[in-house]
Amino acid sequence: MAVEIQAEMVANVWQVVAQEGDDVAEGDTVLILESMKMEIPVLAEAAGVVAEVKVTEGDVVQEGDVLAVIA
Amino acid sequence: MAGKPPRESDPRNPRLRLRALLDEDGYQEVSAYDESGMLAAIGTADGAKVVAFASDPTVQGGAMGAEGCDVVVRAYDRAVAENCPIIGIYHSGGARLQEGVGSLDAVGRIFHAMILASGRVPQISVVLGPAAGGAAYGPALTDVVILGPEGRIFVTGPDVVRTVTGETVDMARLGGPEPHGRRSGVVHVIADSERDAFDKARWLAELLGTQVESRLDEVEDRPLGEILPESPRRAYDVRPLVERVLDTPGLELHPKWAPNIITALGRLGGQAVGVVANNPLRLGGCLDSLSAEKAARFVRMCDAFGVPLVVLVDVPGYLPGVGQEWDGVVRRGAKLLHAFGECVVPRVTVVTRKAYGGAYIAMNSRSLGATKVLAWPQAQVAVMGAVAAVRILHRRRLSQVPDELKEQFELELAAEHEIVAGGLPKAMELGVVDEVVSPDATRTAIAEAIREAPARRGAHDNIPL
Repeated sequence: MAVEIQAEMVANVWQVVAQEGDDVAEGDTVLILESMKMEIPVLAEAAGVVAEVKVTEGDVVQEGDVLAVIA
Repeated sequence: MAGKPPRESDPRNPRLRLRALLDEDGYQEVSAYDESGMLAAIGTADGAKVVAFASDPTVQGGAMGAEGCDVVVRAYDRAVAENCPIIGIYHSGGARLQEGVGSLDAVGRIFHAMILASGRVPQISVVLGPAAGGAAYGPALTDVVILGPEGRIFVTGPDVVRTVTGETVDMARLGGPEPHGRRSGVVHVIADSERDAFDKARWLAELLGTQVESRLDEVEDRPLGEILPESPRRAYDVRPLVERVLDTPGLELHPKWAPNIITALGRLGGQAVGVVANNPLRLGGCLDSLSAEKAARFVRMCDAFGVPLVVLVDVPGYLPGVGQEWDGVVRRGAKLLHAFGECVVPRVTVVTRKAYGGAYIAMNSRSLGATKVLAWPQAQVAVMGAVAAVRILHRRRLSQVPDELKEQFELELAAEHEIVAGGLPKAMELGVVDEVVSPDATRTAIAEAIREAPARRGAHDNIPL
């Protein structure tokens, strides 16, 4: 089942760590957001393959935006 | 009430469940095992006295009538008289329809007994099947709610929802582990199985209910500093730190709801403690309306049962924005201020990295009466980060500096500002930080602070905030 990773808060996309097609384990860093003057890693909540990364570095994301999809 | 005997072979029968919950030795039923729909027993959990009751889903789906409710009210009287924890096992469709308003009155009397016992004896609910209506609000009035894999909590089930609103939803999505563990905050602990649910209920009864002899003077230090990332800007998961502060990993309440703050029960030097910790991995560790409410209720529960608090602070502030303001972050954030301010148990704060702004005050600051405030050597205690502060304080001067020199100038101003307004030396001079402590000497420092403080207990209830 595909799992969407959503932004929890308004943030800048600071670094995209996992690429489409990568295998990720639960707890792996998928990308790093920048908000509240902090670099906040966004982790995979389930193991799988990164099916889609919907943002690029420098994007501004809003709360609830889908950042990536893990299938 | 006479009637056909309940189905002994049914795994849902309350006698089996109560026996599985309580120690084998000393198990004693304190109500008749009949058609009332409720069974109560007194016994022990790891040797400590506990009163427990279970609804009986083999009789009218566990529906609660006057007789069954009397069983629960008497069980509450007994727990208060014995001054011991009470554990309720729920699997019930709610009030008995055929008894009409009489059953509503009876369910209301259970609620009243729970409310009067609140803060006096620990109340733990284990929900193993559907718990609707009155059977939903019962657990919600108690201190901790544990949900088994088949547990479902809702005001009204899917059939009524469909009839009234046309909305189609199944029981799991309406009131199962996913919605209540992550979205509603109704459930504190999700269990993997009925056995797991009983084990966690026993553990909680022991943590909240029994004062074991502590060995706070025998606590050993552990390396804690290595958990922080090298960059002070990088967020990290605080849970390994919480685990290492405790003797053995504790029990986290509400792990998936408002995860930007951690609330966990465990032991330090054998002494039961509650840990409240900002988790920078989620929302940068900001306080927001939900996390403030979550922590406030936890602090009040620990205070009511005499459980000392350890507060691990790494907080950039309250989360800003329209969403939060409209959500009542001011009103709900005030609950955390109030909870810490009235708290009389020993409560020790450790600022690991930063404590900024209003969130600094809310996270058990000196001003709110912290027993002791410790800080790690690199910690920042300030209204805001120094660079952010000078951007406001020196806006005009900075605007006259060419862009290529701006960053350097900001850093210079920030260093100057830190000497005057921020930094640990200033905080210690003001007495808002008592001691700078090395991360790897923190466990003993916390233990000593708790040991030196008088063991007290707040005289208040634990309203479900």
